Amino acid sequence: MSEEINKITILSGTNKFGEKERFEKIDIKKGEVVAIVGHTGAGKSQLLYDLERLAQKDTKSKRKILVNNEIPDKELRFNPKRKLIASLAQSMNFFTDMSVGDFLQLHLESRGKKSRQGLIKEVIDEANKITGEAISPEMNLLNLSGGQSRALMVSDVANISVSPIILIDEIENAGIRKEEAIKILVEEGKIVLIVTHDPSLALNADKRIIIKDGGVVKILDTSLKEKGIAHYLNWIENYGLDIREKIRRGEGIKNVEIYCEPIKSKNKT
Amino acid sequence: MKFIIFAGTPGSGKTSIIKYIIQELKNDFKLFFAKFDCLQTSDDERIAKEYKIPTVKKLAGELCPDHYTALEIPKIIKENQDKDIVILETAGLCLRCSPYVKEGLGINILDITSGDPSRYGPILTEADIVAISKGDLISQAEREIFRAKVLKVNPKTKITEVNGLTGEGTIDITEFIKESPAIKNEKLTLKHSMPSALCGYCYGNKIIDEKEEHQRALAGQKLKNLVPGLNCGKCGFKSCNEFIRAVLDGRAKKEQCPFIKQ
Repeated sequence: MSEEINKITILSGTNKFGEKERFEKIDIKKGEVVAIVGHTGAGKSQLLYDLERLAQKDTKSKRKILVNNEIPDKELRFNPKRKLIASLAQSMNFFTDMSVGDFLQLHLESRGKKSRQGLIKEVIDEANKITGEAISPEMNLLNLSGGQSRALMVSDVANISVSPIILIDEIENAGIRKEEAIKILVEEGKIVLIVTHDPSLALNADKRIIIKDGGVVKILDTSLKEKGIAHYLNWIENYGLDIREKIRRGEGIKNVEIYCEPIKSKNKT
Repeated sequence: MKFIIFAGTPGSGKTSIIKYIIQELKNDFKLFFAKFDCLQTSDDERIAKEYKIPTVKKLAGELCPDHYTALEIPKIIKENQDKDIVILETAGLCLRCSPYVKEGLGINILDITSGDPSRYGPILTEADIVAISKGDLISQAEREIFRAKVLKVNPKTKITEVNGLTGEGTIDITEFIKESPAIKNEKLTLKHSMPSALCGYCYGNKIIDEKEEHQRALAGQKLKNLVPGLNCGKCGFKSCNEFIRAVLDGRAKKEQCPFIKQ
């Protein structure tokens, strides 16, 4: 990707009653992770859609999106070879009757990229980090489970649809290890927006945008304490996943083993 | 007058998308909407009621829907000279056909879950605009691959993604419509020829047998020479062809056609 993205800006539009949103503009800088929260049907996915199509007051919300303080070129919206944005929607299944390996190859070609030795294997290996059931290149896409499909989509977004801006819609519904998935998707120097109902994901972001009735009502910066709480919540969830794994293996569960590790000093997110 | 044809397989989201487009255009333009279907529809009534624009329903019945559409287009244009935009929706059913005309704008609503674009004929390959629907159901990777495949079979087309449920993307189609040229007072040309339809089965033969088919074809052609081919409707049928089938089936009498009597 030749385009260097330092910042995207959301200029306010209107909510579903036609009232002006309660902000002037939101700047999201390179390297930031932003959560979009709100009740079901509040308009969270609409904001992702506005970003994906780089809306110019031509969507329902009448929002305007700037890239590096400028109105982006129309070509950037649709041509996958120039697209700035990779998105992971809520879809859980593939529709194409094709092997995993061929599919990834085809996607590389449609993005106008040359494959290199071993890339396809890396994409599949990465997907296998976040799903319990291993995927192999010979498998047919149609036969993948929901978890396998999502894992492959995550790895595809991270490795083939490589873009400076990443939009993620409710990754927690996917039946995959979401923490691991986010780690794969959120690379340093990218702009990431996550629509989520998940408290630990929301509190892990740098900022959160609260949406109600189709409009942004509040923008909050995450406090250090909230990040700590996110870490704790995450630990509880992973503990739950470990228990699930034991149950699946047919083991009995005797005790609740509550202990929480301190926050490891991660490289900044 | 701008002449816009929407074509797409049943269930691709044509009508929902057209509704959003009518909503966006109706305040600035005088619209007319014609719905072509095979057997039954009430979309024309629903659109007339909801958006207060004139509409018409055209059911092909026993005729090939695309042939029927082409037969009806001149009437629709003649009756709507005062309109700015005429929108025609057709199921374009057999994929071999393309109902598009060179002078107007042909828009294919293409359901992304409906399989490989290379299976489609002129309905896709001759479209000026391909609006891909239901993209929200699948991953970005598949959307991009699908897009590349569409461009492979129709390299000149403009592609846009639409969502019939939320109306997302329909604004692009309205822009294309606004930019498209008006038709002049001239004969319209089909972008692609229709398939031939001249056998005994066209005249209603049901028995699968060479002899039966041949006899029915001969009897049909004989009657075809007698009827005026005006599709005047005086016999009680929508077209001369339907009348001929009914006569050969024994459902109607030859004399019901006032021209044969003479």
